[in-house]
Amino acid sequence: MESIARRLERRWNTLKTDLTWIGRDLRGQKRPPVVARRGPSRYPVATAPRPALRPRPLRVEAVVRETPDAVTLHLAEGDGTPLAFEAGQFLTFHVELDGQTLKRAYSLSSSPLDGPGATITVKRVEGGRVSNHLNDHAAPGDRLLALGPSGSFVAGAATELVMLAGGSGITPIASIAETLLRTRDDVRVHLLYGNRAEADVIFRDRLEALARSHANSSLALALEAPPAGWSGLTGRLDEAVLGPWLDRLEHDRLEPSVDRAYYVCGPEAMMDGARALLSARGVPPEAIFEERFRSPADAPASAELPAEAVTVRVRAAGRDTIVPVAPGQTLLEAGLAAGVPMPFSCAMGGCAACKCKLAEGEVVMDEPNCLTDRERADGWILACSSRPRGPVRLEVV
Amino acid sequence: MISERVVQLLPSRVRSQVEGYADALSTLLEVRDPRVLSSIGPSALRGTVLKRGKQGVPTTMPASHRAYFDWTYPHDFPEMKELYDRAKRGQWDGDALPWHTSVDPFDPNVPLVPEDFFAYDVLEEEIGVRFTPKEKAELQHAMVSWMLSQFLHGEQGALFAAAQVTEAVQFFDGKLYGATQVMDEGRHVEVFHRYLDTKMEKLYSINDNLFVIIDALMLDSRWDMKFLGMQIMVEGVALGAFGTLYRETKEPLLRELLKNVIQDESRHVHYGVLALREHVLNELDERERREREDWSFEVALLMRNRFLAYEIYEEHFEGLITRKQWRRAVAAARGMERFRHVMFSRMVPNLREIGLLSDRIRPHYTRVGLDRYFGGLAADQLSGDQMLAELDQAA
Ligand SMILES: Cc1cc2nc3c(=O)[nH]c(=O)nc-3n(C[C@H](O)[C@H](O)[C@H](O)COP(=O)(O)OP(=O)(O)OC[C@H]3O[C@@H](n4cnc5c(N)ncnc54)[C@H](O)[C@@H]3O)c2cc1C
Ligand code: FES
Ligand SMILES: [Fe+2]
Ligand SMILES: [Fe+2]
Repeated sequence: MESIARRLERRWNTLKTDLTWIGRDLRGQKRPPVVARRGPSRYPVATAPRPALRPRPLRVEAVVRETPDAVTLHLAEGDGTPLAFEAGQFLTFHVELDGQTLKRAYSLSSSPLDGPGATITVKRVEGGRVSNHLNDHAAPGDRLLALGPSGSFVAGAATELVMLAGGSGITPIASIAETLLRTRDDVRVHLLYGNRAEADVIFRDRLEALARSHANSSLALALEAPPAGWSGLTGRLDEAVLGPWLDRLEHDRLEPSVDRAYYVCGPEAMMDGARALLSARGVPPEAIFEERFRSPADAPASAELPAEAVTVRVRAAGRDTIVPVAPGQTLLEAGLAAGVPMPFSCAMGGCAACKCKLAEGEVVMDEPNCLTDRERADGWILACSSRPRGPVRLEVV
Repeated sequence: MISERVVQLLPSRVRSQVEGYADALSTLLEVRDPRVLSSIGPSALRGTVLKRGKQGVPTTMPASHRAYFDWTYPHDFPEMKELYDRAKRGQWDGDALPWHTSVDPFDPNVPLVPEDFFAYDVLEEEIGVRFTPKEKAELQHAMVSWMLSQFLHGEQGALFAAAQVTEAVQFFDGKLYGATQVMDEGRHVEVFHRYLDTKMEKLYSINDNLFVIIDALMLDSRWDMKFLGMQIMVEGVALGAFGTLYRETKEPLLRELLKNVIQDESRHVHYGVLALREHVLNELDERERREREDWSFEVALLMRNRFLAYEIYEEHFEGLITRKQWRRAVAAARGMERFRHVMFSRMVPNLREIGLLSDRIRPHYTRVGLDRYFGGLAADQLSGDQMLAELDQAA
């Protein structure tokens, strides 16, 4: 039992505090009505998963067929943490087929609002190895190795988005559109989505439901081979279809001054056509955002590479480091191994996170990759896809 | 009571303090029922005058209740057993929320709450200035931090009350269930604190009136009073506030957090209804039942009239306007009105369901305009999923 003396002492202390408090109050010496933290925070600073060169396993939770040629895989992080990404980003999968590791990017097609998991949607490419493999064999319980999320094909500051999607190109577009519409009332989204036939349209219900429930959005579907009685647009997404649709948008436009951006993702030919048309209509290049879907080279371009290690000087964070590059190693692999803080994400030439300036020397870059002609001309290279032909000086900016 | 004229004569620092005391006193005078007054009175002294919750030192409260053991482990309440099973399956890990989401409380594109949580027009008129967008953003941030801080303090109360009730309740199935609620409340403390600490970077002290209620419940030795206070009244306010925020915030992490918490809380209120309905019907005599009925009515009123963000007032507006003007401005905010609506549409039907809304008390509710909630669905008829769906629909 607590002794009486102790109890009295405690009472006395409480009384003292109470009295001091009232005195302070009356003298107007109030404490601010907030609680200061004592000591460090007990919570770790949570960041999105750090990029790593080694892919981590993801679990396939469910497989849903969208169309005869496209399948959606529901994915979760293998360690149970949420799969975090920004709408429009992609993951890079390392798929083992016939003893070869193929790297393929797939955009996250769900909205990050619907976490903790996420989906990708893969459409068959004729003769394509990974896309057909996943369409035919992916099953719940599978583990897939992946890097990322990566990519900068994401919503920016624009408050009006004009989105053009063809075929599988709907995946990042649907994610961006849905996320914006569900979280922001001040954004308008106009989507034109083209396909060959009605059976090829991916996410039709989802897109139509979004358009129905958000007055600040519109949806137009275009088919090259429409069925009888089709009420949407007809034809491929070339000038003949795009032009009038854009005219119409222009005509119905409510606020001519808003900050408008164009998001384009689809087959190569459609994207080139769209870019040419938009430029001709006076859209500045910085208002056009593109994601090009393609596979990286199977094997590194081996021609003309030195057979011995070369040394490379890398300037990053204001410091120069001399980095030895073994034959076959990429600049990124060598730099990271030497402890240079080089940024990267997809490690397959798809996101430009590893972009750096080639100040001296020559490199061989794997093609295709996501650098634009402009960037090439300005001396940019992708460290993840480049190997030195001799001594090289690099600047990481 | 001290007349306003006398108060005007005091030096301004003292004046605002005396105003504060007068306000506390008028809160008490609003309580009509003498028995309720005597049960809340000492707590009110500790909370509103001594400001025990704001002293910056830990508060100790002597709790006395009977721990009820049963060495025969009866399966005595199938519905509670079912809740227990549901609670076990419904456990989630606070770490799994998307904490990496970067939250900018001042980003006008992702508003934490709609602007109308403040009646800016009323405030501007009272003070005679116009708020800049930056000042408004600061006030929105203050309001969200304040609300979440009060949730957090309420969750600490809920954590201890759940533990005490688990000891005191006489149903063994209820004890097992209670263990899950203790875990739930611990997790709620964790996630609200983490959100405030790492995202809002601000934590407000406990509101005096919330302190009063928690203090009164801790000291009351009757378990059903703790239960009524915590599971029906405080959880009712919490569900009202969570629901409103969940529906109206554009901040994805907060939305996700609230979604998870609402699922838990709806179980807690359901349990409260089950245990109390049984208790009120079979264990209490009419006198005791009436006492609880009066008590809940007074507490409901207190919550409606007094949960008024005075801490924000003290931080930003003390000396500029009087408490009375502040009260008017808060009461006029449309967002606050929606919050009160959601809160009462949960609380009143639950009181009806447990037998504390007899014809005797109904006229009082009618008098203060709460009769429109008489017919709503009670917690045992409404699952967490349904509740969320309802909120989603109204959004
Ligand atoms: C950033 C990014 C995001 C992507 N997101 C998606 C997505 O969300 N959904 C999706 O289905 N795909 C997406 N892709 C494309 C995907 O990465 C693969 O390129 C595609 O699945 C084909 O791989 P494969 O192994 O099946 O074909 P491969 O074996 O690589 O190619 C077989 C043949 O098809 C040709 N080919 C390759 N790709 C295409 C193509 N897209 N169209 C026409 N011919 C082609 C090749 O030149 C080759 O002749 C994305 C690509 C990138 C770079
Ligand atoms: S890391 Fe993505 S392009 Fe190099
Ligand atoms: Fe809780
Ligand atoms: Fe609770």
